[in-house]
Amino acid sequence: MIYVYTTKQDSENWILQNDWYFNLYTSNEDFSEEEKKIIEMIDHARLTEDKHIETKYGLGTLRNLSSGCKTLLNVMKNPGKVVNIEECGKNVLDVLFSMDDIHVYLSRPERIHIDKNTEICFDQKDIVVGLQGFEQWWTEEYARRDLDDL
Amino acid sequence: MIYSSINFQAAPFSYSLEFADRITLVRGDSATGKTYLYQMLEDLRLTEEYHAIKLYNYKSEDFHENLLKCRDRFIVIDNGDLLLNNEDRRFINFESSNQYMLFLRNCDGLNLSADSFMLLREEKYMVTLERELAAV
Repeated sequence: MIYVYTTKQDSENWILQNDWYFNLYTSNEDFSEEEKKIIEMIDHARLTEDKHIETKYGLGTLRNLSSGCKTLLNVMKNPGKVVNIEECGKNVLDVLFSMDDIHVYLSRPERIHIDKNTEICFDQKDIVVGLQGFEQWWTEEYARRDLDDL
Repeated sequence: MIYSSINFQAAPFSYSLEFADRITLVRGDSATGKTYLYQMLEDLRLTEEYHAIKLYNYKSEDFHENLLKCRDRFIVIDNGDLLLNNEDRRFINFESSNQYMLFLRNCDGLNLSADSFMLLREEKYMVTLERELAAV
């Protein structure tokens, strides 16, 4: 199940600023082989043993990863937290929506590849399945917002 | 328009960014070099030719107040989805003395044209802006 929250909350359990949170906290953790593969897939970067990264832009540190890659790693490293994915491109969103038991903040629909069997829970109440369910939910949500003049 | 194009070298890359609308949104996949470009512009704005560039990202203090003071500037905003509120979006629409390059995905509330939507493309170390939406 993917838990999507569409209203922003200022809570200790939420990561709203992914760059800031990653630079200060997540980057200090150890990274698994799976997470190193994510870094390679999204940023085409190789993570070295001493936590530098090698990219086409040169040698850098984990701080130089893209915001999207940092967001993905924040999700993977902080399974109990709700992570803001509003800054992610489609390449990162596709990976996020192939994962399970994650909690994310997204206030609008995006073009995402979603498997037909993927279960998505919106705002802790509505459960839909697959891309069709995702799109249908957003269609109805926009109708609700129109009614509420939001 | 403050700048119809921005051109500079940052070895091994060459940047040639052409703008077709007063407001340019740079979107596309993650990790296409948007924040790297922002960092390059931090240096470029110190040159005489590009001194009209004004930069904001999530580290900027008093962002909203400072944005509203801008006139005749080329304003670049990284982390736009985090920073921009409705008042900022109205200001961007109506303060026409400024030009904007926004690293932003949510375009709600902005007056845009098809020329506004751009992707950052790098090929053989040449970095350009490419239209995201096909011409109708």
